[in-house]
Amino acid sequence: MSATAPAVTTVSRASSVFGAAASTDHKRIGLNMGLASLVFFLGGGVMALLMRTQLAQPHMQFVSDATYNELFTMHGSTMIFLFVTPMAMALAIYLVPLQIGASSIAAPRMVLAAFWIWLSGGIIMQLGWLTQEGAGRSGWFAYVPLSNSANTPGVGQDLWTVGVILAAAGLTIIGGCVLATIARRRAPGMSVMRMPVFTWTQLVSALMVVGSFPVLILAMALLYAERLGAHVFIGYSGAIDYQDLFWFFGHPVVYVMFFPFLGAAAEVIAVNAHKRWFGYAAFVASMLAFAALSMSVWSHHMFTTGGVTNQYFAFTSTALVVPAGVEYFDMIATLIGGSILLRTSMLFALGFFLQFLIGGLSGIFIASPVLDYHAEDSYMIVAHFHYTLFAGSVFGFFAGIYHWFPKVTGARLREGLGRLHFVLLLIGTNMTFLPMFFLGNYGMPRRIADYPSHPGWGTLNLLETAGAGVIALAVATFLVNVVVSLRHRDAAGEDPWLGHTLEWATSSPPPRHNFERALPPITSYAPLLDLRQRAADRNGAAMTRVPAGRAGLGPTPQEDAP
Amino acid sequence: MGLGAPTGLVDTRAEYQHVFDIYVPIAIGVFALIVIATLLAVLVYRRRPPERAARWYEHDRLEGGYALLLVATVAFLLYITFTAEHRVDTVAARERPGLVVNVTGSKWEWHFNYPAYGIDLYSGAVGRQDLVVPTGEAIRFRLTSVDVIHAFWIPQLRYKHDLIPGSVQDSTLTFSRRGVFAGQCAEFCGLLHSDMIFDVRALSPAEFTTWARSQQAAGGGAA
Repeated sequence: MSATAPAVTTVSRASSVFGAAASTDHKRIGLNMGLASLVFFLGGGVMALLMRTQLAQPHMQFVSDATYNELFTMHGSTMIFLFVTPMAMALAIYLVPLQIGASSIAAPRMVLAAFWIWLSGGIIMQLGWLTQEGAGRSGWFAYVPLSNSANTPGVGQDLWTVGVILAAAGLTIIGGCVLATIARRRAPGMSVMRMPVFTWTQLVSALMVVGSFPVLILAMALLYAERLGAHVFIGYSGAIDYQDLFWFFGHPVVYVMFFPFLGAAAEVIAVNAHKRWFGYAAFVASMLAFAALSMSVWSHHMFTTGGVTNQYFAFTSTALVVPAGVEYFDMIATLIGGSILLRTSMLFALGFFLQFLIGGLSGIFIASPVLDYHAEDSYMIVAHFHYTLFAGSVFGFFAGIYHWFPKVTGARLREGLGRLHFVLLLIGTNMTFLPMFFLGNYGMPRRIADYPSHPGWGTLNLLETAGAGVIALAVATFLVNVVVSLRHRDAAGEDPWLGHTLEWATSSPPPRHNFERALPPITSYAPLLDLRQRAADRNGAAMTRVPAGRAGLGPTPQEDAP
Repeated sequence: MGLGAPTGLVDTRAEYQHVFDIYVPIAIGVFALIVIATLLAVLVYRRRPPERAARWYEHDRLEGGYALLLVATVAFLLYITFTAEHRVDTVAARERPGLVVNVTGSKWEWHFNYPAYGIDLYSGAVGRQDLVVPTGEAIRFRLTSVDVIHAFWIPQLRYKHDLIPGSVQDSTLTFSRRGVFAGQCAEFCGLLHSDMIFDVRALSPAEFTTWARSQQAAGGGAA
């Protein structure tokens, strides 16, 4: 692990640990949050492997029904509240100040406190495993009346509820701080329409966090009161009210878990195509439309309840085609005419777009109530959201990791191991999640600890279980890559990829206050690319004579930067 | 519309298939188009020196025209969806039912009550009795729950609806052919959720009448 605090050599080990834990450097907090999220990712992955073992064949009884219910509840809760969302925020905490040329994040002590509040929520949620009745076990959306104390008694479910409140509180505060950073800390010259694509995706994401996460905190606080004996959610309308509150958070969070990784993949594609992101203005407009729509679609999770206006939510949900279509157009148009290098980060970014597409298209499918009456709560839904969250966001996350790892640590990750990681993850992901569409259509509901031995069901489930094993191998390959790359460092320098944005105009890792030299002029959303293009125009004739092939692919000489 | 059971009643399976047959080919076509365009772009523009990368990055008319195409796609998909949804939710609800079945969910058992015949059937964690229905008639299922939320799902009909305590909601469904079809609770309802299963046995109307009479003679089914 790389230490970013430079002054630790003269102090004791204990105080250096304290220094890392209590640092108000946004890079240290971001790194801590990223590492903590990664630990939760591995934990959630182990839960998934246990579930897949149980489901490998019908009537396995590898774990009890009660344990299985805890596993899927905690797997979903861990991945959503403790891995994907906080990992997206960790990227924001680390990268947004750098991308906008700021020396620090806004309200760093609040960000530090929020990190610890979130982490304590995560730990409290997991402590449920140690209680007599076991961990939370009424699903990650904990519908009432199932989640009340009559139907799900025990301290584990209480710990789950409190854990979610704390985790969401921490994430809400961080969202607010990211928003304040973007509003107040942009370097001179960085107008809103010159912010990098990734920063825009984080801005839109933070807007949704601030707008929707408080509703989750409210819903969970009311649920906790209900569990303590207050009558909050009464009868049919109480059940519907809870679902409305939960999904008013629960759908925007899907986009909070998507936008930052979309931004990461977009940066990776632009940098590796050596061309600025196409259609910036339309992309920004589409992100804002995306965010507005995504806060108006929540009841498409409730088509089968009879308690909502299905046509309205089918309309808003299907309308998401427009902003999503714009993204794909921009991605392809960025590639066309570029000069493309297929680095590992690029493979993951392309994987992100193409696999997320399966999740997105299946999302349009289930936005139709008639189709959703069949698909709802079946394995088609499980397949759909794993294609968005795993085949999408996790691939975007890895694209970002391979891209920014050199910035954070000063060393590149190994390309060979990276490609192996990519290929294994690609195979494992599709082996695991593609068969789920078919099983769902054949009638397999989600969240069942056992399934009937209908023809073909055992085979498809076995294939999924094998795929989960391949995913585990891929993740192990990634961890090996991290260890190898940090042990035998391949020094990256300031700007190993010919980056477009300001984080590549400072040392790797950046100094305590990010920039020691004057910032380059901020002339667009890709200021470093502008510099290179202007330099190329100055010695125009010479540059056009560069022979084809791999010549000229080296890093930009930093002397070019004023 | 040429859809539905021969009787003209709304057939949820046919409505699903109708929408499915439009949505899925479009989705597969879009997927193929984007994958091919992306891979082609990568192959064609691979490994050129960075200086050769094009500098254009915007095209207002192209982007605007494309956005209009997307809007038109949304309008088309919604037209298809709303037409089918109207039949499944509204037209079916107006049909005069040939049979009414009260469906009550509880942890972890289905209770099917036939008010016209005084028959009670149970299926779930403690034992399995089939839900017996006639084909070719609209059947009104009156759905409710006594404890937590359950969902009444018959994959063969491509239809499910939630059973929510404190409400009775109607779903009107038609079985167009005879056979035995699996049914299962689709909303997670606690410990033995996966055992909350049943089979539907769809009989011809004459067979159904015979069955119902024999059940009545036997004293209203096992309780």
